[in-house]
Amino acid sequence: MRSRKIAVIIILISIFGNAHFLLVQSATQSVNVTAKIEVTVSPTPPVTPPGGGGSYIPPVITQVIFLGWAYPLSKVTVLKDGQIAITTIAGPDARFNVALSGLSSGNYVFSVFSEDNRGRRSALFTFPVFITQGAISQISGIFLSPTIDVDKSEVRRGDNIAILGQSVPSGEIIITVNSEEEFLVKTKADKDGVYLYNFDSSVLTMGQHLTKSKAATDGLLSSFGPIVSFLVGTKTVFKIPEKCPLKADINNDCRVNLVDFSIAAYWYKRTLSAAFKKIEKERLSGDGKVTLTDFSIMAYYWTG
Amino acid sequence: MTKIPKLKILFLLSTFYFLLSGLASAAELFFDAQTQEFAINQQFQVDLLLDAENKELNAVEGKILFPVDLLELKQIKDGGSIINFWVEKPAVVMNDSVVFSGIIPGGFRGVFGPFYKGLKPGKILSLIFQTQKEGEGAIEINEAKVLLNDGKGTPAQLSIINYQFSISEKILVPQIPIPKIEDTEPPEPFTPEITRDPNIFEGQWFLVFASQDKNSGIAHYEILEKTPRQSLFNKFWQKEQWITAESPYLLKDQKLKSYVSVKALNKAGNERTASLPPSRPLAWYENYLVWGIIILIIIAGLILRFLLWKKIGW
Repeated sequence: MRSRKIAVIIILISIFGNAHFLLVQSATQSVNVTAKIEVTVSPTPPVTPPGGGGSYIPPVITQVIFLGWAYPLSKVTVLKDGQIAITTIAGPDARFNVALSGLSSGNYVFSVFSEDNRGRRSALFTFPVFITQGAISQISGIFLSPTIDVDKSEVRRGDNIAILGQSVPSGEIIITVNSEEEFLVKTKADKDGVYLYNFDSSVLTMGQHLTKSKAATDGLLSSFGPIVSFLVGTKTVFKIPEKCPLKADINNDCRVNLVDFSIAAYWYKRTLSAAFKKIEKERLSGDGKVTLTDFSIMAYYWTG
Repeated sequence: MTKIPKLKILFLLSTFYFLLSGLASAAELFFDAQTQEFAINQQFQVDLLLDAENKELNAVEGKILFPVDLLELKQIKDGGSIINFWVEKPAVVMNDSVVFSGIIPGGFRGVFGPFYKGLKPGKILSLIFQTQKEGEGAIEINEAKVLLNDGKGTPAQLSIINYQFSISEKILVPQIPIPKIEDTEPPEPFTPEITRDPNIFEGQWFLVFASQDKNSGIAHYEILEKTPRQSLFNKFWQKEQWITAESPYLLKDQKLKSYVSVKALNKAGNERTASLPPSRPLAWYENYLVWGIIILIIIAGLILRFLLWKKIGW
């Protein structure tokens, strides 16, 4: 009888544990939902023979066309395998359309990011794609996450903190603020895609908090964008706009790319110099050595 | 059946359900090969794949161990890998293992394709082995780590599936040969960059570069530094001296007056060259060519004057 009771308890724990696990998993999945990328392939269109007469073999063109949404009139950058391949300017409706030629057949890792009207960067939107030789691949459904910033680096508890950024015109912006519990608020971007939400800090506990945002438009949902931190304290300190990313930019050129990777790779598995130890602490993991963790941080902040 | 066995079954089922659900959420490193049964002296290829399982990952490292008494490693292929930048390019260590470490800027959730829906696992690398003798063994992944694309390098939950195989003298299963892909394409276009930083090479100028190859993979890089003087000289008298090098490369010409060319060669021998003009070109008076032209003009002028003097007394 006792063993039966124990068995029932174990089963219940197992089921409840599992149910809890499934809830966590579904929450994680909902966070990761992004705009639906679609890859379509069409053969290279036939080329009219020049000057008529005779047989003409058209050159094999392997091309990728990227279609998506950034911010109105923003600069959109496409990275091919981590290096800048092409840039374009989005239209006033935030739509962009850019083509890349001269590719081989195989797996490519493309990333797209944009900068808003204040120079704030979106998160990288990355998608490895298999490219077919001699065909035009169209990648549609790219929806860049909104940019985000806060007006104060520290807010006096009870005052408002402005959470602002840019996305698509009239897009619905979903902002989350992480405290002991997560707060989720919604606002709408204006015709230029600009959004601003005054968040009442009285609901937050004293200390460090993080905020991020995602956007929805025409049935599409972007992923969450960059994470911005602020402090809830006893005074208000206005934030000085950062010119360069604070993390991963080792050589201080406002970009995180192959140069930073090479500098970090030089120190991989070596004893760090005093000067580089300081940089590693400020801009990488801060554990006093260069490991895969530091390269992961770099990959997250990558700009190409 | 008594009530206790029923409970036992229920207990076992719920435990399995819990464990399997847990595993389903973890990223997965596994091998893919056409078969698991081989004859002696047969070559076969195994691909190491990463299934992100809805996670966004951006870094991976590991060590692949193989039984040297049963298998001889013939080739490591990283062409078409999802890894954009290798921290440690896949290489053999201690004769019985392959180590690798690399990143995917922006993160990886799976590979999109035009002919299927959803996401597929991505290839990290391929290994080609030759079987040595009869026996059973496994190719195992050790010390593996995958990190989340979260800006903090948080380790992701990882499940590993090793690759079991058997080698037999009398193999009845029809053998699948390694698909031979004819690689006629050069590596991808790339742009080298000259830079310097106080934290590396004592602040001296260095070169960074990286290309990709979608088929056979990058074999190595070669570098040529030449000043405009050397350029002219080499054209007529000397073969250009390319040096095998890796990124980052400390430039020999710290005055940056040289043309710098980087050649990426793939394992099939195809090459792609990227060149940079001198960052600080020679002043006109430093260029021998200019002096050569000036001397030629002076000589021509003198000859002309001599001829005119001879002909008309001018």
